[in-house]
Amino acid sequence: MPAKLIARSSEGARFLLLQTRGHFLFVLALWAMLYLIGLGYHLFVWSTGALTSPLLEVVYNAIVLFDYALLWLLIASLVERHRAAPTKAFWHTVLIGLLLLGAGLLIARVGRVTNIVDNPTIDLLGFEYETGVPLTPVTVLKMNLLSLMQVGFAFLLLARFRHLVLFKRTRRSQRNWYAMLALMIVTSLTTFTMTAAEEGIGEWRIPTVIVLVPAVLLMVVNAFRLSWIVFLSFRQKLALIGLTLVLLAMLAGGQVLGHGFFLMDATDYLYHYSYPLAVFTEQAFVFSILYGTTALLSLLFHLPTTGDFQQKVGEMAAIQSLTNLVSKVFDSEQLVSTIVASPVEAGSAQMAWLALTDLQSGSLRPRVVATHGVDPARLAALVDTCALYEDLGTRSGPLVLDEAPADHRVEARPGEGLGSLVGLPLVARDEMLGALFIAKEVTHGFEQDDLGALTAFAAQAALALDNARLFEEQLEKERLTRELDIARAVQRKLLPQRVPSIDGVTLAASSVSAQEVGGDYYDFVRLDEDRLALIVADVSGKGTSAAFYMAEMQGIFHSISHLARTPREFLTHANRALAASLERNVFISVIYGILDVRREELVLARAGHCPAAVIHLDGEARYLRTQGLGLGLDRSDLFARTLVEERLTLQPGDVFVLYTDGVVESRNARGEEYGYNRLLEALRRHRHEDAPDLHRALLADLHRFLGHDAYDDDMTLMVLKWHGIRLASAASAHPQQPEKPADEPAMVPEKP
Amino acid sequence: MSNFSVGFRSVGPVQVLDLRGELDAHTASELEAAIQKALEEQNTRIVVCGENLQYISSAGLGVFMAYIEEVRERGGDIKIAGLQSKVYNVFDLLGFPMLFDIVETEEQAIEKFREDANGVPPTTA
Repeated sequence: MPAKLIARSSEGARFLLLQTRGHFLFVLALWAMLYLIGLGYHLFVWSTGALTSPLLEVVYNAIVLFDYALLWLLIASLVERHRAAPTKAFWHTVLIGLLLLGAGLLIARVGRVTNIVDNPTIDLLGFEYETGVPLTPVTVLKMNLLSLMQVGFAFLLLARFRHLVLFKRTRRSQRNWYAMLALMIVTSLTTFTMTAAEEGIGEWRIPTVIVLVPAVLLMVVNAFRLSWIVFLSFRQKLALIGLTLVLLAMLAGGQVLGHGFFLMDATDYLYHYSYPLAVFTEQAFVFSILYGTTALLSLLFHLPTTGDFQQKVGEMAAIQSLTNLVSKVFDSEQLVSTIVASPVEAGSAQMAWLALTDLQSGSLRPRVVATHGVDPARLAALVDTCALYEDLGTRSGPLVLDEAPADHRVEARPGEGLGSLVGLPLVARDEMLGALFIAKEVTHGFEQDDLGALTAFAAQAALALDNARLFEEQLEKERLTRELDIARAVQRKLLPQRVPSIDGVTLAASSVSAQEVGGDYYDFVRLDEDRLALIVADVSGKGTSAAFYMAEMQGIFHSISHLARTPREFLTHANRALAASLERNVFISVIYGILDVRREELVLARAGHCPAAVIHLDGEARYLRTQGLGLGLDRSDLFARTLVEERLTLQPGDVFVLYTDGVVESRNARGEEYGYNRLLEALRRHRHEDAPDLHRALLADLHRFLGHDAYDDDMTLMVLKWHGIRLASAASAHPQQPEKPADEPAMVPEKP
Repeated sequence: MSNFSVGFRSVGPVQVLDLRGELDAHTASELEAAIQKALEEQNTRIVVCGENLQYISSAGLGVFMAYIEEVRERGGDIKIAGLQSKVYNVFDLLGFPMLFDIVETEEQAIEKFREDANGVPPTTA
């Protein structure tokens, strides 16, 4: 069974522990039984009046030692189960010690042998002087009981001190402790064959002393494991000083007065009971006295510094808890105020403020975003935060001003509440986000350990700030994406949802943007029964600003087209209308046409736009490159003076292609532009098809050339085919999908 | 990344800007900065030499529009020289030749400045 228990003890480093109640009771029963066997042996010796054989004595000694090993197990697991803070542990130990002392005194008084004169062969304790045979059953009982009490108390002390010695344990300290115990056991075992009667008491042989010396050395080493003392409060230390004194009095008193820890003669009984056990017990008491003495001295020395230590621990704990808080706050406002409040509320300082580089303005000039313990206006009068901030940017660690008023960047005079100051750079991902400043009323207010704690806090704060910033950036990004999606949807609405259906004409048009929104625009407006106005426009640049001008162009088209009788008139008005709102570097190229089905003519004007392509049934094709400035380029009358219209009489089969530069300037992977010639060629190949098919075919040709679906530029394509008036409604309105027209052509089969 | 650059040269009182590469929405700011610098140095007679300009987008053209008014108010001009035909076509489509002196060679542009100084007004003034 013990083998099993030993196996259960983890790594051999922890002491044997009885894990369950069942084990405990089993060991307890076993111990009691063996204890009674020991008692019985002594009674047997008493009754025969002579010593037994040496062999039987060895067996007895072995049984007793094993029995007390079990007692150690019992006591150690009891102590382990009732772990207590040092004060309580000491209190319990002293109390038990006092109880045992009282009980011991009572026991010692019973059956005391007083008549030495009458019988010189009897020593004071009641054993025969020569042989050590107990003379009365009372002696046997006293011997057994007093031994149990002493050894039990020694075990209790060891078990209790074990926790203290191994407080904040290291490998080394653990090794020292177990080595000490081992050496104590070995020392005891060297006296295995000795008896009190033969050897006398305390007269140890040389082998015992040889092992004892290192044991004592280790006792001294272990006696200096006292780090638990620093964590005690003032009251706890006072209480412990008292308890230690009592304990020392009990232990050392007995040692000084004679043998035994607190009772005259008690150890003598123990030596009679079992010599090795007595040796072990004495060692345990010696160690206890040593440890008690060092503990007492340490307690006394640490008493005055308790307050400082407690304050420091409090500050550390406060900073720690606030650090945790900081890492949970995502709201920037709340975060910065938590960061500045932390050092002040932790009691490390009277003032704190936080300066951050203003990312919005892009300047590196810091701005004080939060203060605690001082209002911003007063702070500005006290310290030149910007100068301190710059200084921080040039160094790697914190800036410490022990005598702040002496520094040229601090305007505060002595006595204005700013004696010493620490500036901590807040660095995250190698970038200085800002700086945390902490000030105390007193000069030289920051010690090295303060700086350590504050630096750690600053690192945490920087991380939290960085996280909050990333979080906000992410939110902003998502918001922008949503906004752009809305903008895209709105812009789609600005384009015509259907092409108009007009007898004799087929129409198709589409537009795609390189970005979410673009600057391309196309549209149609029925002017009256016979006339249709059509427009393709391209705002210079791309993206959001272009999209706004595109919207403005849409408004102008829908309002002015009805009033203008000719393309020239429309464009002149539009140029004037746009002059006020267009940026200097923005212009809009427009191609505008009026189709008159009754007169069978198309009038086109080009304001800086890519020339429309026209192809006749016979394949004769050309670009209509009339003169005309882009809208917004000129704000004088030059625009109107130079603009030229082209009037085209329509013949059945005529096809007009209007587009933006995104079409002809698109480049393939080799960097070649699609160009005007390829457009005209494709047009020539597909000129016999209706406008929708032709439109698809042209886009398909373009995509085949490009070899990819990505657009560098906004791309708009409008196709108008004149079938002649007699065609009537042969080609009715084709609903079109401006959303993704670019995808469709790929599915259109090629026509020869 | 940027395949556009502007080189500075002075020919007498004329500041010549040599454009190289592709002038589009991304690189337009470089030309802006170059013209701005010339103006800060009081060089209002600017010839933009486009012999090595491969491509220009509408945003690139916008740069000329952004500065021409200020330059002319200060008594100078921006003249454009040596454009490749494909690039010239872009200028031409928008009607830039009606607004700017666009000539074939840098020497012609500088000569034009000399004529302007002799009292012949700029074509579009």
